[in-house]
Amino acid sequence: MTRYLLSRLGSALLVTALASVGIFALIRLVPGDPVSVLAGPDATAESRAAIRAELGLDRPFWSQYVHWIGDLARLDLGPSYKLGGDVGSLISDGALNTVVLTLFALVLAAAGAIVASTAAVVWDKRWLNSLLSAVNTAAVAVPTFATALVLVLVFAVRFPVLPAGGTPPAGFFSQPDIALQYLILPGLALALPAWAALTRFLTESLRTELRQPYVTTARALGIPRRRIVLTQALRNALPATVTVLGLQLGSLLGGAILVEAVFAWPGLGRLVEQGISSRDYPVVQVLLLLSVVVFVLTQLVGDLIHAWLDPRVRLNGVS
Amino acid sequence: MSTPVPAPVRRRPIRLAGVVVALLTLLLATACSSAVDELKSSSGKRQEGGILRVGALQDIVPARIFTNSSDAINVLIGSVYDSLIDYPRDSLDPKPSLATSWKLSDDGTQLHLQLRDDVTFHSGRPFTSKDVEFSIKTWADPTWTVQLQRTAAAVTGFDTTDPHAITLTFAHPLSNIFDLLDMLPIIDKDTIGQLREGKAFVGTGPFKFASWSPGSKISFTRNDDYWRGKPALDGIDVSVIPDPQAQVAQLRAHQLDLILGASYRDFQSLGKDKQFQVNQWNGAEGQVYVGTNVTNPALSDVRVRQAIAYALDRKRVVDEVLRGAGVPISTPWPSYSPAYDEKANATYDYDLTKAKKLVDEAKADGVKIPKLPLTYPAENPIYGAIAQIAQADLAKVGIEVELDPQEQAQVIQQLIGAKFPALWILSHGYANWTPSTLAVSAYPFNADHNASLYSDPTYKAAAEKVWEAKPGAVDPADYAALNQALLKGSFLLEIAITLPQDASSTTVHDLGQTKRGEPILYDTYLTK
Amino acid sequence: MTASVTEPLTPVPVGPVPGDPGPVRANRLRHALLHGRGRVGVVLVGLVLLLGVLGPLLAPYGPTEQIQGANLVGPGAGHWLGTDELNRDILSRTLYGIRVDLVVVFAAVPVGAALGVLLGLVTSWWPVTDVIAQRAFDLLLAFPALILGILITAFLGPGVFTVAVVIVAIELPVFGRLVRTSVRTVREMPFVEASQVVGATPWWVLRKHVLPNSLEPLTVQLAVSMSVAVFVEGAMSFLGLGVRPPHPSLGSLIKDGVRLLHEAPFFAAGPLTIVVALVLGLLLISQSLAEARRA
Repeated sequence: MTRYLLSRLGSALLVTALASVGIFALIRLVPGDPVSVLAGPDATAESRAAIRAELGLDRPFWSQYVHWIGDLARLDLGPSYKLGGDVGSLISDGALNTVVLTLFALVLAAAGAIVASTAAVVWDKRWLNSLLSAVNTAAVAVPTFATALVLVLVFAVRFPVLPAGGTPPAGFFSQPDIALQYLILPGLALALPAWAALTRFLTESLRTELRQPYVTTARALGIPRRRIVLTQALRNALPATVTVLGLQLGSLLGGAILVEAVFAWPGLGRLVEQGISSRDYPVVQVLLLLSVVVFVLTQLVGDLIHAWLDPRVRLNGVS
Repeated sequence: MSTPVPAPVRRRPIRLAGVVVALLTLLLATACSSAVDELKSSSGKRQEGGILRVGALQDIVPARIFTNSSDAINVLIGSVYDSLIDYPRDSLDPKPSLATSWKLSDDGTQLHLQLRDDVTFHSGRPFTSKDVEFSIKTWADPTWTVQLQRTAAAVTGFDTTDPHAITLTFAHPLSNIFDLLDMLPIIDKDTIGQLREGKAFVGTGPFKFASWSPGSKISFTRNDDYWRGKPALDGIDVSVIPDPQAQVAQLRAHQLDLILGASYRDFQSLGKDKQFQVNQWNGAEGQVYVGTNVTNPALSDVRVRQAIAYALDRKRVVDEVLRGAGVPISTPWPSYSPAYDEKANATYDYDLTKAKKLVDEAKADGVKIPKLPLTYPAENPIYGAIAQIAQADLAKVGIEVELDPQEQAQVIQQLIGAKFPALWILSHGYANWTPSTLAVSAYPFNADHNASLYSDPTYKAAAEKVWEAKPGAVDPADYAALNQALLKGSFLLEIAITLPQDASSTTVHDLGQTKRGEPILYDTYLTK
Repeated sequence: MTASVTEPLTPVPVGPVPGDPGPVRANRLRHALLHGRGRVGVVLVGLVLLLGVLGPLLAPYGPTEQIQGANLVGPGAGHWLGTDELNRDILSRTLYGIRVDLVVVFAAVPVGAALGVLLGLVTSWWPVTDVIAQRAFDLLLAFPALILGILITAFLGPGVFTVAVVIVAIELPVFGRLVRTSVRTVREMPFVEASQVVGATPWWVLRKHVLPNSLEPLTVQLAVSMSVAVFVEGAMSFLGLGVRPPHPSLGSLIKDGVRLLHEAPFFAAGPLTIVVALVLGLLLISQSLAEARRA
């Protein structure tokens, strides 16, 4: 187990390190010079040079890179070039909004998927299965931005029962009931595709599980089907679902860009968009690295959970 | 979230769904106060204080704080700062503000201003004549890229011996000196460094700057010691919402009280709704136009530029894009401007045959017209619509255009730096002021250095002539000459005057706006 | 949104059964496509394909033609789907807009898939290249699709070509990984080891055993990836990174329609239906193929 853990950890670190170099280089290749953005059009050559030196952009690439990693390690990200304020606080403000939204969507998707797929398997009614399958396919086939906008039009404009967008005025924690209402529409829009994927996966896993010999034995012993589903099958099917859930996290973060755009939700997605278009290197490179780290971490955690639950993986090191 | 199913459920599986449904219902039931109801207010009673929630399309850019180039900046300047004098929106007759009275010398080169002695900055420091000098000198500094920089720089002498009076000396008479004094915010010299970084904005105005989260929100709180008296509102929260559609949705959902950026179509539909009020601010007009870079080989021939002017369907733009809130024009001036000339204003009509003829002539003389990029800000839908209308019409007369939507901030930067490759669509202001302000100041017109890179001695002379005169004493013949020069150059092709609009919930009362397009929120109050 | 970018989310065992006679399998897949869900999918995709190919013949107006006086006309005899705020016929724009998505779906995805398969096949044979390639794929997969889109647009500027490049970049690692899994499974098979013992070259093994055995999961993934591509085009156009105005794509039409949803709800209906039909069709195809494989 330790060996497996170490090897996974090593490769995760490697990917992150490579990514950090790649991102740092890539961002500097993006056309458009931050110095001219900052200095303004009438700036003299001297003032440009001064700004360049102040930002450290005149130093060699590796020296800039090492400097950046040092700053990252000290969590001192310095000021942003263009968006104003401190990169750290820009990102932490945005991250709070995005994380709350994404987690909420994840909870919605997971809870919805467990309910839907257990219901489908326990009752196993034809109409229920057809209905679920139809809703499921629809959830996958309608683009997130379309769902988001339809939700706004129906629940915020036509029948104004929920806010049309924005974050709760008093923050998330002082008035949780109000905050919840702000989260429902964007959360729903974001959760729908993830819910569909999870439901399909879990239903399928439960069905597979029910074909296992132990189920036949249990049935022969007179244990009711639904009890088997809820006690044994679900427990066996969940670990793999957790891995899928982890994969969904990445796509949820991607979808958050769209949902944040529609709901004027000041999160990381909007920050990436603004940062790239205004050539704000310090902001963008940290955000990109962050997205890589999140991905690597979710994969790592997924793998580890998988290994912990499945001795074959743990012992043979097969991932 | 994917924790094992709770223990009690295991025995009676059917309950699983029931429990989840019950939990969700409970969650919703505990959410007894509805976020929407909380946002709605309908009793009609005047509310003490309260925060006005404003939606703006563009964020503030500290380096461009004095350029009126974003709606959030307009709120900031209008709320945090005062100017020496104020123009009413509908006239050029200066009214007292921080200056109580003034006297212009007979030759027009000296202005003595008496200042209020009871005004303090938000920092607590009293306002004096030194601050006037500092503010004018800041505007004269090219690094701030202020449009009236040349006018500010023409103020050469400052007599500040009396802290509550100042005498300004000019290099030459300035016909637009009161325009400068109306636009110029009086800023605090101690915090200029923080202003540059966007950390502090200290003025003498009705609201104090509280905080700025870039890309998201700017907050202001009431200045209890405001010299005009305490403002009614507790504060202002400006949310930066770059999508006009999202602004409209949030206004409709009562999450915003006032929105500054929406399409004219949205304003039209909001105006039909009893819950909202659409305000039109005549006197603070803008002008939407097509700019040309005259150093582009295809556009250096004036016939090509004239052809473009003839190919612009101004009436269609006013009817279909501005939804009637505009006037087709060929010269910048609104009808009440001293430089307005009805005949000159009708120079360019929509005439594709004439346009085609001009293009063909130019092409016959060897002018090559490749596909020209047409740059415009992507955020505001009116520019995109006008660009596509122009593109279709220009294609009919033999000018291929490629649309190049960009972020507003990038477009403004190219405007200031005169970096557009060929054509662009934008709005300018200043035609509603003393005409010389436009001719010597506005980026697209500045006779010295403009965004079109158009330089012409006749135009320059005409612009200087109307500028270097005593206020109110410009010869109408000189204005006629200026119009002649503008039309001869045809480097900036006017489309239409746009009448600015904003929309507010009916719970917002006594909104105002300055000639500069800054919301006046000093008297504004909310009802419950 | 980009739910299925990473992996097919049905728990299918990736390793096919080796030695399964080829023709029978092909028949099975064909059967899946011609019956039940598969047939519905094929019909839907075929319909959209037909509309796109015949678009110029069916469209009553040009895609960017501005019709005088027809400002925001509702659906009716003259304009079946109405006109937009710039007096353009929405039906015509939709028909032309389909073509952009067809290019993206039927050109960019196969290119990405082919590149991914090739890279996956070649690199997975040697441990060193395998590790390098896998880490590179990990890296590409680590960026959410839209972030990749925004980043690539920063280099290339908005446009159809950019969308195509983004889709290639998204699909390449997906297919690369999929093939790699097949390679690893097949290589463990006794008959492959045996063939290596008697001197088969790696290339021969890849061609004779690996590729045929991975065709099925690849086909399924191809259908999934195509539906993802439709979404990516839509999302990028929605954020203003897709086709440049005035040219239509389904995504940009939906974006415009959404802007006018309050005044003209009819506007978005046409393009949205097509997108849903296309994605639904592709999904049904992938589902029926996946089912046929397992049967």
